[in-house]
Amino acid sequence: MTTRPMIELKDVQKYYGDYHALRGITADIRAGEFFSLLGPSGCGKTTLLRTIAGFEDITSGVVMIDGKDMEGVAANQRPTNMVFQSYAIFPHLTVEQNVAFGLRKDPRTKEEKAKAVDEALQMVGLKGFGKRAAHALSGGQRQRVALARALILKPKVLLLDEPLSALDKKMRENMQVELIRLQRQVGITFILVTHDQEEALVMSDRIAVMFDGEIAQLDDPETLYRLPKSRRVADFIGHMNFLPAKVVDEANGEIDVDVQGLGRCHINAKQAPGTNTGGEASIGFRPETLTILYEGQSASDRETTGSVEEVVYYGDMTYYDVKLDGVADPVRLSMRNVPGRPVLDRGTKTRVAWSPSALVLFR
Amino acid sequence: MKPSGKGLWLYAIVYLAFLYAPILLLPLFAFNDGTIIAFPLKGFTLHWFEVMAEKDQLHIAVKNSLIVASASAVMSTILAIFAARASTRYDFKGKGAIIGLIMLPLVLPEMIVAMALLVVVLQVFGDGALGLFSMIAGHSLICTPFAIAILSGAFQSLDKSLEEAAYDLGEDRISAFRLVILPLVLPGIISSLLISFTISMDEFIIANFLGGTQQTLPVYIYSSLRFPKEIPVIMAVATGLVAVSICLLIIAEYFRRRGVAKTGGKDSGGFL
Repeated sequence: MTTRPMIELKDVQKYYGDYHALRGITADIRAGEFFSLLGPSGCGKTTLLRTIAGFEDITSGVVMIDGKDMEGVAANQRPTNMVFQSYAIFPHLTVEQNVAFGLRKDPRTKEEKAKAVDEALQMVGLKGFGKRAAHALSGGQRQRVALARALILKPKVLLLDEPLSALDKKMRENMQVELIRLQRQVGITFILVTHDQEEALVMSDRIAVMFDGEIAQLDDPETLYRLPKSRRVADFIGHMNFLPAKVVDEANGEIDVDVQGLGRCHINAKQAPGTNTGGEASIGFRPETLTILYEGQSASDRETTGSVEEVVYYGDMTYYDVKLDGVADPVRLSMRNVPGRPVLDRGTKTRVAWSPSALVLFR
Repeated sequence: MKPSGKGLWLYAIVYLAFLYAPILLLPLFAFNDGTIIAFPLKGFTLHWFEVMAEKDQLHIAVKNSLIVASASAVMSTILAIFAARASTRYDFKGKGAIIGLIMLPLVLPEMIVAMALLVVVLQVFGDGALGLFSMIAGHSLICTPFAIAILSGAFQSLDKSLEEAAYDLGEDRISAFRLVILPLVLPGIISSLLISFTISMDEFIIANFLGGTQQTLPVYIYSSLRFPKEIPVIMAVATGLVAVSICLLIIAEYFRRRGVAKTGGKDSGGFL
């Protein structure tokens, strides 16, 4: 990995008339990483991607690709290629002609180009499809043609605009794995736009979560999941329970908090990654950090009591909504269904194990 | 659902007979060995076609019609490509009003258009300006809305990212248009050319008003109808026109179907 970032964004601002679409985006995207822009629709993630591609002019700020300022560099001159949400396969051409489209001005001989096309098709698993008419392909195949068409040009950055959203669940999961494999194989920087948090977590080296034209948090998937900086980020990625809490004392990298229903406990200062906003403090924790204790089991750390309000059975997992004693709203916890662990009925009184080390403080 | 009852069948047959039986009479009398258009038929002849082949004025009219129709078709299709692309691709102030005004000749009585154009041409350019050019201008005006209607459909169905993809892959705006957009809207362009050609070909009012001394085929036919002995010849001319029309229709449908097949769209039914 080189020290210089592949893409540097410095205070990128974009207005559509009065609408402030990008509000000062600053980020570095490393060479060779799988980077995701994650956020709800309208958060500016696609606009940012199109800005990098050169389809949108920015109002102010700097976009640098591979150390070069992209100001005034048109999309067809940038070292980026895009896989469009609709794939944008040219329907009047064959698969081969689609893949070779970008090679029109390439000085190589016809045979060399044909070889490159074959290699690109093989890379995306479409060997032997070259002569097919593009419009006769399935969604997954079109996706692959779009990938081959972009990768054959050996771009420095491949931009993917919600490439999997049109595929069904099974196909999507297959393509996720294949995209990761492909990215490792070619070593090109991938930037993926998605609204699907699971997709982002599965595929990315790092994720920028965007809300309202700003990056709310930029981290690797694990940090993002375990230490979200704000309740909004926490809510967008997976499920998180929140309980009202009070900060009692803070010293020596330790925070003393009083959590409703859980009582007083010490947490590490790292467990409060968000900046101090001065609002009401709350404690968040993921469903899998709570454990139902069956008879004879004891908590390794702390435990509390509650009653099961709702049971949702998923086969491998069961989700319980449990009303903890002393807490108004039920919290969600998840248990893996393993032998010897019966699924509880609604209304069952139960003990619940928890640990202060899994808590996240928002304030 | 299957239509029920013989009444509906009868209605359909009567309707179609009313529509096409008169046209079938044209070739019947064109080959009839008699000067009067009436039954009983007298015998088979090619005489009227021979007469037709010798009429210089008819040839000039056909030539004029072909020139005017071809030029109008090309003119209106080019104008329509610009308008259709602008209206489907870009948003700008007053777009609705502008497109509305362009489409207006579709519903405006042609008489009014013809009279207005005649006055303008006479006042501005003098009566020496009446002729092929003024007819082409008038026909382009009335054909353009039809061409836009056809081409808007073609442009509308294009995914915007196709053009962006071509641009992203290194083409410039013009070559992206040429390599991607043009081939995909080509069936629409051909349809537009054919429809505009047909409209111009049988247009009478503007041709009559703005033609000056130049006659187009419809104007020639109309003026010939005053002479009873010319009528069998007109029948022969009409027979030729029917044959040409059928050929054009088949060509148009061929291109439309090929366009549908090429882009993998669903065939939503065309002319045939």
